[in-house]
Amino acid sequence: MKTHVTIALRNLTRQKKRTALLAIAIAFSVMIVTVIYGLTSAISVNIAENFSDILGGHIFITGSEKHGTSKEISRISNDQALRDALKASGINYSYVSSYSSTFATIIFEGKTTSLLINGINIKENENFRKRLSLKKGDWESILTTPNALIVPEKVAQTLNVEIGDVVIAKIETVYGQNNVGEFRIAGINYNADLVSQLSSYTHTAHLNEILGLLPGEYQTFAVRLPSLKETDAAAMKYYDVLKNYVQVFDRKTEANGAPMTGFQALLRSQKKESWEGVKYRLFTINEQLAQIQQFVSAADTIGTTVLIILFLITMVGINNTFRMIMYERIKEIGTMRAIGYQQKDVKRLFLLEAFFLGMIGMLAGFLLAGILMAIVSSINFGMENEFFILLRNGHITFNLQFAKIATIFIIVSILTLLAVSLPARKAAKLSPAQALGTEK
Amino acid sequence: MKRVLLVFILSVSVISLLSAQDFTKILKELDNLNNFEKSDFTAVYTIITQKPGEKDSVLQARVFRRDREDLFLILILQPEANKGQGYLKDKDNVWFYDPSSRQFTFSSLKENISNSEAKNSDLTRATYSDSYTIEKTEEGVLGKIPVWIISLKAKTTDAVYDRLKIYVRKDRTMLLKEEAYSVSGRLMRTTLIPKYVELNGKLLPSQIIIVDELNPGEKSQITLTEQSVSPIPDSVFKKDFLERVNK
Repeated sequence: MKTHVTIALRNLTRQKKRTALLAIAIAFSVMIVTVIYGLTSAISVNIAENFSDILGGHIFITGSEKHGTSKEISRISNDQALRDALKASGINYSYVSSYSSTFATIIFEGKTTSLLINGINIKENENFRKRLSLKKGDWESILTTPNALIVPEKVAQTLNVEIGDVVIAKIETVYGQNNVGEFRIAGINYNADLVSQLSSYTHTAHLNEILGLLPGEYQTFAVRLPSLKETDAAAMKYYDVLKNYVQVFDRKTEANGAPMTGFQALLRSQKKESWEGVKYRLFTINEQLAQIQQFVSAADTIGTTVLIILFLITMVGINNTFRMIMYERIKEIGTMRAIGYQQKDVKRLFLLEAFFLGMIGMLAGFLLAGILMAIVSSINFGMENEFFILLRNGHITFNLQFAKIATIFIIVSILTLLAVSLPARKAAKLSPAQALGTEK
Repeated sequence: MKRVLLVFILSVSVISLLSAQDFTKILKELDNLNNFEKSDFTAVYTIITQKPGEKDSVLQARVFRRDREDLFLILILQPEANKGQGYLKDKDNVWFYDPSSRQFTFSSLKENISNSEAKNSDLTRATYSDSYTIEKTEEGVLGKIPVWIISLKAKTTDAVYDRLKIYVRKDRTMLLKEEAYSVSGRLMRTTLIPKYVELNGKLLPSQIIIVDELNPGEKSQITLTEQSVSPIPDSVFKKDFLERVNK
């Protein structure tokens, strides 16, 4: 085996230029796909982190009261039990906050659009002010305008509104009655993804009044953790303790094959239940942004498809090169066979050569991807741009997981070996007499 | 002097009480006009919706009602894109059926029908006397017709609109106009009923105009045709019916 490895490595160095070109082709494919994988994975983390900054939490709890058989009122009047359970759970959290939110139809001079309005404690939530990049408007006037509304750029374009315009919002109260509220456009923020294109922000007190909530009541209790990574484990721990303090909904996430996210399936199943008093629903930022996870999965699939297509093209090159190599070395193969090399030994030599070629290409690809990612992530794009929600503190970040690198390694190795297997088999099948008798 | 004052107070109280009872009766009469407790009701509703900057849209739906069992079914006939969609109400549950996905989803009486200004509740039974209390009554004129203007306040939060102002013809109990207000007291929509037809001794609206007061220029006109009080087969008020008509 050691001899095979030595010969295979020596063979690789015989035509340095050709080997380098093949390795560069493999390296290029690996680099592109590694960067795509790193970027998509980081984007989902960045969006989740930025949203948790804006909404002030990673774990969220809403309270539901059932009125009649189908009506559900979403409100939290007293959060003491939630705070006690949080303390008792022992999870490490940074702070807790609260907010309300509702879907509204916004009307301005004959134009209408649907929008999610989040009622945030803007004055006290410094992270929110840091994370939400304003294209127009300023925080000072937002803080001093009681009915201030910050809308995404796209919504501002749809409604043709500018700072200072007053819009009407058709909103249902928590009891399901029709209500109308007035909002003054005080900020226009950059938007880059689907979720931020549909979200707007106002002061909690103003939204609560339109929703028919009493002073002190709100809709969502938010727990901010030191890091996004701790979300799922902390949520599970908190949920287990919370069950002993208040009545809580099951945390089922299966979609039962329906075309919806697990979180949507969970909400749907809970609509059919009936209960007395307030029942609480615990969910995480990851569940709330499940649609972004679907986008990331789609981007991953595209990444894998790109890898396979790029590599199929490279495979054709590798296959042709190894067929040439076979003809170049036909007398050498005949001599090896004549001195006792078996068919499998010849085949193994070719496959080992291809494997080492693939390894060199992959290592170079990973190295190039690393350099590229380091350069790109060192650039500070600032927070005042339309891609702020995809960035982390103004920087493009990359998040490479071991499983993704292993996937690239396995795919490239299999495809390289497949590309060489035909010429390798053909070379192995040559009889010594046939090989030695062949004129080049 | 005291005796005169007492008689006056008592007279005013009795008159007020009598008039309040009268208005309650008017509300009940209005509910009865639009409710079919003894028979079924079928009609084709054509809803033409105008929105600023958009082409007029036409929606046609056949409505089946059995008020005594709290059942109704709305089957969309037009436009082609919505054809076969339907709403089925069975007691407290309202289901929406979409033939393209062949799935039923939970819906609500408060939802607008397709893209129109009309809500599901506009096509079902009226419940003025059950859902609202009389806050104020006054006399007025609508066009040239003398009317009672009755201000109503929702008894519970179950009512879609917190406050209503209804304009009822004095000489014959007919609803001519309804103004619907939000919880904050803002006028949200005005409903006008300029035409009625008589069916089995009942006055039924044959034309309804719904004006969106928040978005000027947005309105829907509902025309009722093919009204009938003939019995409807039980099978119509089943989910299977919506699936079957789409086969």
